[in-house]
Amino acid sequence: MNRDKVSRVISRITQNRLFLPILALLLILLFDAIFIPGFFRIQVRDNDLYGRVIDIMRNASTVMVLAIGMTLVIATGGIDLSVGAVMAIAASVAAIMMNPTIIGVQLPPNLMKFINDPNFTYSPLWEVILVTLIVAIVCGLWNGVLVAYMDIQAMVATLILMIAGRGIAQLITNGVRIQIFYEPYAFIGQGWILLPFSLYIVAILFAITWLITRKTAIGMFIESVGINPKASHYSGINEKRIKLLVYTFSGLCAGIAGLIASSNIKTSDAYNIGKTIELDAILAVVIGGTAMTGGRFSLPASLIGALVIQAITTTMYALGVPAFALQAIKGLVVVLVILLYSEPFKAFLNKVTSEKSHQP
Amino acid sequence: MSEKIKQFIRKNRQYIPLTATALLIVIAYTVGAILYPGMRNPQVFLNIFKNNAYLLVSAVGMTLVVLTGGIDLSVSGVIALTTVATAALLRDGMNAWLVIALMLLMGIALGATMGSFIVYLKAQPWIATLAGMWFARGMCFFISDDAIAIENRLFDIISRVKILFPGITEIYTGLGRPAPYLSIPVIVSFLIFFTGMFISRYTRFGRTIYAIGGNEGRNEESATLMGLPVNRTKLLVYTVNGFCSAVAGIIFSIFVTSGHGLYADGLEMDVIASVVMGGTMLSGGVGSVFGTLFGVFILGLTQTLIQFNGSLSSWWTKIVIGLLTLLFIGVQSLVARSKGWGKKTEMMSPEAAKQYRKKLWLRRVGVVAGVAVVSLSIIFVPRITNQEGAGQATQSIRCELKEYRREKAEEFLRDGAIIVYERNGGSNCIDEIYAIYPDGLIVGDNGEEIIEKQVTEAEIELLMAGILDYGWFTDELYDTWHVPCGQCYGYYLTVVYEGQEKTVTGVDGGTDAPALFWQAISLVKGIVPKFDTAS
Repeated sequence: MNRDKVSRVISRITQNRLFLPILALLLILLFDAIFIPGFFRIQVRDNDLYGRVIDIMRNASTVMVLAIGMTLVIATGGIDLSVGAVMAIAASVAAIMMNPTIIGVQLPPNLMKFINDPNFTYSPLWEVILVTLIVAIVCGLWNGVLVAYMDIQAMVATLILMIAGRGIAQLITNGVRIQIFYEPYAFIGQGWILLPFSLYIVAILFAITWLITRKTAIGMFIESVGINPKASHYSGINEKRIKLLVYTFSGLCAGIAGLIASSNIKTSDAYNIGKTIELDAILAVVIGGTAMTGGRFSLPASLIGALVIQAITTTMYALGVPAFALQAIKGLVVVLVILLYSEPFKAFLNKVTSEKSHQP
Repeated sequence: MSEKIKQFIRKNRQYIPLTATALLIVIAYTVGAILYPGMRNPQVFLNIFKNNAYLLVSAVGMTLVVLTGGIDLSVSGVIALTTVATAALLRDGMNAWLVIALMLLMGIALGATMGSFIVYLKAQPWIATLAGMWFARGMCFFISDDAIAIENRLFDIISRVKILFPGITEIYTGLGRPAPYLSIPVIVSFLIFFTGMFISRYTRFGRTIYAIGGNEGRNEESATLMGLPVNRTKLLVYTVNGFCSAVAGIIFSIFVTSGHGLYADGLEMDVIASVVMGGTMLSGGVGSVFGTLFGVFILGLTQTLIQFNGSLSSWWTKIVIGLLTLLFIGVQSLVARSKGWGKKTEMMSPEAAKQYRKKLWLRRVGVVAGVAVVSLSIIFVPRITNQEGAGQATQSIRCELKEYRREKAEEFLRDGAIIVYERNGGSNCIDEIYAIYPDGLIVGDNGEEIIEKQVTEAEIELLMAGILDYGWFTDELYDTWHVPCGQCYGYYLTVVYEGQEKTVTGVDGGTDAPALFWQAISLVKGIVPKFDTAS
């Protein structure tokens, strides 16, 4: 009787959506605890916390932000390949607003000498952030219109912006890497209030998204569109509007990620910012167990997925694995993920758990 | 008469996107030939095939994959791995034919592995091939961090042989002009192209590919129920694409006569874009290998036009390709929509049918307007920016990038400088060289005046630590160079630390220099004094 209960609890845990991602994260952290001395050491410097674990979270913040938007997009059965390019556009817009001399805007001579001053910005910070996010939202809207109203496959529609977007980002800054001197902007990605400031952004974005998708019907609508758009349409859901909404939201997330990334390196590097990051974001969602075909999704699982990717990266660096080898290892990790989520493995898992529960 | 034309169009509806592509090529090339006399040379036309032979090979394989409703992101990784492995094996003295055979085997093995993940483990093609790409690219660096030059007789011969056209050559030699020619890789790429066309049209394997991908990729089950070998076909398709990637990789290594893990970065997107522009739907089942040739050609033509224009920056290629992709998808969706129009109205009351037609008409106008706006913007936007940039372009001609003032740098280093930094070029034609000394002295020299600045030793230590932190003395930081570049600057940074000395060169506005280099430069930039005259 008691054993039955235990096995039921076990199967309940293993059936949980968060089980595999958390298990993966725990395994990596366990590995770190054993093989890398001082991995979990956290230092306090000027009332702020520093350490490898914090680094993992901080470096994962851009992918986490993207993964939140990407989860919703994938839940509708779509995909957004353009997030990296939108990040680059956002970074370019932000940089150009703070320092427009690059594109030939003449500043009055009394302002010109302050251009490299850490307290100087051409446009106020709130304006920079607002305009950047609006531009990112417009990019998302563009994707959404193509997917929802022009009936273009998500992959192709977002491929267009993925290819053209990076060109546009370079066009905005005239191909120049603009250095960002303005300190308050750098705070977005580099600031700490006990924890890295970017983590608060992730937390707030996650909380809002979670509330909206789980405490209103929108989350259910998104899942239903992902499972069967036609059926959702006939049951009175405006599936086009839902699709438009998720792509726009993904654009917004990409904009926020672009702000974090560019303030983190204090440059608008239109070519390198967010390069191939869309793959990481999608991988995070897949590790989180959201099916690429759409349907049920889990935001916390995607965040854990992003942490898993970053934890592997940080672990490898801590072990002294050269950066180039990382890609090969990342590839092997993806293979592992494929194996874990494959039908044969699931059947095996079911067999194991059900055998246990049937024991007398 | 018009009824006949209508019928003809209706009958050959599936060829409309392809015809549009062909028309666009003809128009674009004609406009190019009118604007730039250099483009009238037939060699320029042939060069488009010569320079994109690897793209065509890869795109043929990708077309087959896309037709099954799948996708293969691994092509760029496999190509890079092939170049590195080829170069490394040749360097170690292996027979060139054996190397080529081995590379083809490797491509087949990689493709088959990814295919079996997709078929037997039911992995998303997207994810499985992403893993393949990362794995292959990572493996490149296990073989070698640096680019390896290829010095081999066979490869040399292949890259140099000119295939002339009998008859035409005599005319050209008679005129005393160099005769147009093709290269061996072009012939190979066309062989693969024709084989791909034949396979997809006339073999059981090819027809099964279409059957699997039909109905927007949802036809797999129907195909299985029809008794078609779905699993085997899918596995084979990814294997064939692995083979094509290996061939493309060999062609690429012949093209650049070296191998490096960073080659062909992001090529998979070019390949996919050319497949889409060739009229193949990414959902599968619709399209042809024949169309892919047009897609590849359009991509090459865009690059050629931008090169001939000269004042347009390289990023315009990306924007134009993006817009063109949109244009073709617009045409495709127009064609796909018009298919269903007639049928639906048959079952409606006359009143409803009238309204429906009206709605459709509006929609059709909308799509056409959208397509028109996009195509107009393709034609006019570059022209507008051209006019704006005209003044700058003449200015930037005077501002060629200069060589590193190495003697000056050596002089500084002999004096005990630990960092020497030079940047030159830009719209103001500057040439500034700075020396940073361990005691905090910074000297700047722009050829006209010398300025000095004193900072603390701690600041210099911090700067040095920062640069070393970026892995200055590792292979992560390497030289790059590209011209033309518009109004860009050339950067040179020499760092001396504990007996090691390393100089890294880079040009901004391009896409080649490592990101860490720019971060190191920005660290130095932040500390050096500014000249009043410059910027």
